[in-house]
Amino acid sequence: MLLIKRGDAAISRSRRGLKRINIWVIYALLIALLVGTPLATIVYFLFDGPSDTWKHLSETVLGHYVANSLLLILGVSAITLILGVSTAWVVSTCNFPGRKIFEWALVLPLSVPTYIIAFAYAGITDYTGPIQTTLRNWGLHPDPSFFEIMNLQGVMLVMAFVLYPYVYVITRASFSRQTRNILESGRILGSSPSRTFFSIALPIARPAIVAGVSLVIMEVLNDYGAVKYFGVSTFTTGIFRAWFSLGDVNAAIYLSSLLLVVIFLVLGLERLQRGKARFDDNSPGSKPISKFKLSKPMQAVCVATCFMPVFFGFILPTLQLMGWSLDTAYKVVDLSFFRLIFNSFSLAAGTAMLCAFLSVILIYAVKINPTFFMRVLGKFSVMGYAIPGAVIAVGVMMPLLFLDKSLTTWLQNSFGITMGLLISGTIGALIFAYIVRFLAVAYNPIDSGFKKVSDFYTEASRGLGVAPLATLWKVNLPLIKGSVISAALLVFVDVLKELPLTLIMRPFNFNTLATKTFELASDEMVAESSVPALIIIATGIVPIIFLSKWISKT
Amino acid sequence: MSTVLDIKNLYKKYTRKDAFVIRDVNLQVSKGELLGLLGESGSGKTTLLRLIAGFEEPDRGAILVNGQVVVDANVFVAPEKRKVGMVFQDYALFPHMDIQKNVCYGLHGYSKEEIKDRVKEVLKLVGLQSFAGRYPHQLSGGQQQRAALARALAPRPSILLLDEPFSNLDVVLKEQVREDLRNILKRTETTAIFVTHDTKDALSTADRIALLKDGHIQQSGSPKELYNKPSNIYTASFLGKVNIIQALTKPGGYESQIGFIPCNRANGTDQKVTLAIRPEKLAPCSEGHSDLYGAAQLITYQGDHQLITLQVISGKSQYKLVIKANSEVKVSKGEVVHFRIEEDYIKVLDTCWYPAAAEQSPLEKVVETTEKPRT
Repeated sequence: MLLIKRGDAAISRSRRGLKRINIWVIYALLIALLVGTPLATIVYFLFDGPSDTWKHLSETVLGHYVANSLLLILGVSAITLILGVSTAWVVSTCNFPGRKIFEWALVLPLSVPTYIIAFAYAGITDYTGPIQTTLRNWGLHPDPSFFEIMNLQGVMLVMAFVLYPYVYVITRASFSRQTRNILESGRILGSSPSRTFFSIALPIARPAIVAGVSLVIMEVLNDYGAVKYFGVSTFTTGIFRAWFSLGDVNAAIYLSSLLLVVIFLVLGLERLQRGKARFDDNSPGSKPISKFKLSKPMQAVCVATCFMPVFFGFILPTLQLMGWSLDTAYKVVDLSFFRLIFNSFSLAAGTAMLCAFLSVILIYAVKINPTFFMRVLGKFSVMGYAIPGAVIAVGVMMPLLFLDKSLTTWLQNSFGITMGLLISGTIGALIFAYIVRFLAVAYNPIDSGFKKVSDFYTEASRGLGVAPLATLWKVNLPLIKGSVISAALLVFVDVLKELPLTLIMRPFNFNTLATKTFELASDEMVAESSVPALIIIATGIVPIIFLSKWISKT
Repeated sequence: MSTVLDIKNLYKKYTRKDAFVIRDVNLQVSKGELLGLLGESGSGKTTLLRLIAGFEEPDRGAILVNGQVVVDANVFVAPEKRKVGMVFQDYALFPHMDIQKNVCYGLHGYSKEEIKDRVKEVLKLVGLQSFAGRYPHQLSGGQQQRAALARALAPRPSILLLDEPFSNLDVVLKEQVREDLRNILKRTETTAIFVTHDTKDALSTADRIALLKDGHIQQSGSPKELYNKPSNIYTASFLGKVNIIQALTKPGGYESQIGFIPCNRANGTDQKVTLAIRPEKLAPCSEGHSDLYGAAQLITYQGDHQLITLQVISGKSQYKLVIKANSEVKVSKGEVVHFRIEEDYIKVLDTCWYPAAAEQSPLEKVVETTEKPRT
């Protein structure tokens, strides 16, 4: 027998009251503190009271911002709802040629950022663009104003075509979780397929659909590039304008806080509608829905329903970009272009690894200290994804500028050294802002990875004398490797696409694929912007297919 | 014999509002002893196990392992520092490691040679020498369990905890596993506690049984003690079929409404008592040998024996009584059967588990046949 060494246990004894505050709680607190900074900043500055510019803005353009943002939300939500739900229903319940391909192809538009589809469509419908040119070549002379899409309705439509996959993916997952028995019992009771849809399937899928639409709304409110390009003033462009054109941070903060109110309202409503009802049927042995057999014309309708959004959201804009890139690649692709790719990829990879790392620590801390407080802390830390990039930028920049100012003053006073800004405007600051925004993107897949692995492994390991950190390394991480990698991949793509945050936080003269694309397009060099745009899209495709698989599994 | 595990006045509840899931548990386990923690689901057996292992914290009370406090009001020793081994219900073998690595996992602070020897030794002990290189999913359920046992035994824990070790096994395998497990634990002189909801597992495998009900230990003792001398109705009925009879003590026996039960031990103080008598202690006999009789109402053939439910009519009331007869006895429905009671096995219960019910009906409902509560 191994003897328990005397005193061995005594060393590890700790005061019971303090026992809960182990090192993991402190890690989690630090992460929450980090991520909570922007929000705290905005709340803090709100107490400063409104500036004159804000008063001026609120009397003149604010109503316009509010109206545009709300109309945009309504319009995009409505279109994505119709596109997302109809395609999800058709794909999960009907049999038609190409169904398997559409199942994942319908997700492809998600790889096209809103600002890229915006200028792609601006080019397509332009007077010199392919549509009008072709029509003129055929001897037709249509009214150019018919093709005018650079307005609110236009931006609604193009955004909806790349955002509907959010609704599609989540709704499809819900439809495929609904058991055959539920739908078949509806039909045996005499419902037609359409009545089955409206009276059974749709109500059961409602929480999923609303969750999808609220993701769409988050994206709409985050968008800067598309609305800016189409000349539509929203909250987000307002924040940029107040900050950079009018030089009034206070007004930017007031706009941000208003925007936050809208966001929390959306999130609150989403929570509320879920209510207490259980909509998911998890009865064991549930079989997938048997597909409706359709007549040939109905099959054609299905194919058209699925093809249309893929065509307008992915194929057409990508073809346009490819066309442009053939013309301009020789101009764009040079040494500095590879530098650009390197910048973007290393930034995205670094952020992705950090986000995955912090998420693992956060989740594990909650796992080994499963108290109410820790769970709230975990939820709080991943709130950033709901907050638009521009708002995060305001909230991160302010404290960093303050730090910089105090640092330079201190250096000046104590050592007589004159320095510029040391922290803000660095890559570090940019990555910090990315982490605030994208921590949730890594957190959720890793969390569900952890949930799939039995707690008994952790306990078995600790029972065999292995401390928490070593257990994480030897047992948990190898078991959730897949989730961690996919989490990092998702963050990678999101960082690559992210525009408003990068525009504000990037160091001087530092460009990423996203900022370069937007800059070129804004400078009337749309054709030149197509090469970086295509790289962003191409990088986004792989993990997006992956994402669709992941969501339909969980 | 020295005490390896000492649990003192342990209390535990999960949330503030809940009732205690562990109430005032006191339990000692001596070195080399194999304790069966028996109880229906929800009785708190697994919670008690997890409290010992350190995966849960008690609200009150103390646990000592080898005389050292591992948890009390001031001290909490983390699970990895307790030297307590555990075999989980679903085994929790790490799926990304082979059996060898799994068994090595808990061995710290030894040289490579020592580890290699020890792994060989425990794998041999559980009969898995040739499976060292296999991964858990390549083993059968019984083999996985033995691998988990080997892993838990390798670091020579002060005490081994087994959570429902027999619940995932089919009936044929189960008997073998019970025997193997007992042999291995005895050969290694391992002090162990296993949790089970199956009375047969506990009776056949444990040195001592502690019966848990609503987080409280009802009775603990050897399997024979618990079976033959239950202290209350719950214990009596949990361990098997039993006839519960309420009676008055008279000189030379008990006066009950099924008739006079002769018993020399009974004193004649006219005291109200509750008697527990197992069906096998009631045997059919010829008319002259006993004044006790009833009409056969239900006969269930069990192969090696049969159970006969008798209806005993006394005045206006009827009572049911189960007796056990060997399978050759021919009884038809409605037939009057005389029976006698082995007086050595009449157990007077110390306390009545259902005091409220007993007070309501002092002698009206004299006989009640209780079956083991289904789990």
